Amino acid sequence: MKLEQFYKNLGGSYQEIKDRLQSDDLIQRFTLKFLNDKSYETLCKAVEEENYDEAFRAAHTLKGVCQNLSFGNLSKSSSELTELLRNRATEPVDMDKCKELLSIVSVDYRAVTVAIESLQA
Amino acid sequence: MRDKVLIVDDVDINRELLAEILQNEYEIRMAENGLQALEILERLHEEIAVILLDLVMPEMDGFEVLEELNKKPWSKQIAIMIISGDNTIQTEARCFELGVSDFVHRPFDNRLVRKRVRNVVSLYQYQAELEQKVEKQTEVLRKQFKLLQQQADQLRQSKENVIDILGTVVEYRNLESGEHIQRVKGYTRILAERLMKDYPEYELTQNQIEIIVAASALHDVGKIAIPDSILLKPGKLTQEEFEYMKSHTTKGCEILNSIENAWDEEYGRVSYEICRYHHERYNGKGYPDGLQGDEIPISAQIVSIADVYDALVNERVYKSAFSKEKAFQMIVTGECGIFSPKLLDCFWNTRKEFEQLAGTVENEVEPGM
Repeated sequence: MKLEQFYKNLGGSYQEIKDRLQSDDLIQRFTLKFLNDKSYETLCKAVEEENYDEAFRAAHTLKGVCQNLSFGNLSKSSSELTELLRNRATEPVDMDKCKELLSIVSVDYRAVTVAIESLQA
Repeated sequence: MRDKVLIVDDVDINRELLAEILQNEYEIRMAENGLQALEILERLHEEIAVILLDLVMPEMDGFEVLEELNKKPWSKQIAIMIISGDNTIQTEARCFELGVSDFVHRPFDNRLVRKRVRNVVSLYQYQAELEQKVEKQTEVLRKQFKLLQQQADQLRQSKENVIDILGTVVEYRNLESGEHIQRVKGYTRILAERLMKDYPEYELTQNQIEIIVAASALHDVGKIAIPDSILLKPGKLTQEEFEYMKSHTTKGCEILNSIENAWDEEYGRVSYEICRYHHERYNGKGYPDGLQGDEIPISAQIVSIADVYDALVNERVYKSAFSKEKAFQMIVTGECGIFSPKLLDCFWNTRKEFEQLAGTVENEVEPGM
């Protein structure tokens, strides 16, 4: 019940992740582990330093983890940022667009962390 | 035993999730980037069944890992599965071109990952078993082939033994020529090898030479059927006696025909040629059939020079021994009948070898043999 609401708040689907991971215990454990993942911090720092290779990798990682954990909103916003940075080698990166997308990622990220903390409580 | 899975991903949570799915069935090894993965593989490549490989990683990414792996001979034995969130067709196609077995998209379903890992593992296992079986069977075949070769060698040996036995019978019967047969074999080899070298048009092979040399031992087998009174008669034979003596060629062929099943066709054929035609001469003045030129089989042409030379340089009941020099002259000038010019050329060029053999064997002959 708790998990269902949790996923609904984050734009994901409990049913979907339950189908994939098969156990509530596993879902819970890996959701908690998300707090240890450093890709969000790495992403922010890399965009700040305009290190777009690093930013791409971090956004890509964040996207992948969120997809696995069914964090719908964060996975969507990090995915958009990943795509913006994918062709960084051939096209110049639109810095304003990048920062705009990062701010959406930040909002979604905070929502996830807050939700996880409340899940723990 | 391949019972390990190597998970290569730079993100903890991704590695752990995969480990969680697979740890009941496999021993898990993990690497955070391509370099680490290659390091582990160098050590454990014989134990790892499948590599689960992420594409986007720091240090060395998944594509570089695949390229490195393609250089390793052992990599063919390990299944590679890509786990990636990069879901473009180009990426997937490139991975398959680089030899991966499967491509799993993120987010993945635990059950499907488990099943797909099982699939590639059993596929690779099956392939390895097949390879092992083929290897084993190849080994068995190789052994059998070796055995066959040995048997063929033994068979050849026993065929040669048949020839030697017959030759020995002739030697015993024909008291004057103790070592004659061994020497004729030697001269035959000298001439034949020279002929092969200088006159390729005869298309002689080393194998044929071996057969001719072995069969040359039988050139006088027909003498078994000639009575002692003629064979061992000192001095000149009457016309009638000489005609009878000449029949040792055809009588030899009768003997050989009667044992034709005891040896191989090639030996039989060459022995027959030598037996029948070693008294033919190039100008048609020989016997028994009066063949001319290369109508006379080359085997018989070779043996006839060898035979004549040996008769000249050794004592016979009907003659004393000529010197090597005299014998050489007599053959070259046609005093003993006309031989093929090509063979005489070979004889001319191997004079030293002939004289050496005549010398050594002479010394080896024990008195009274």
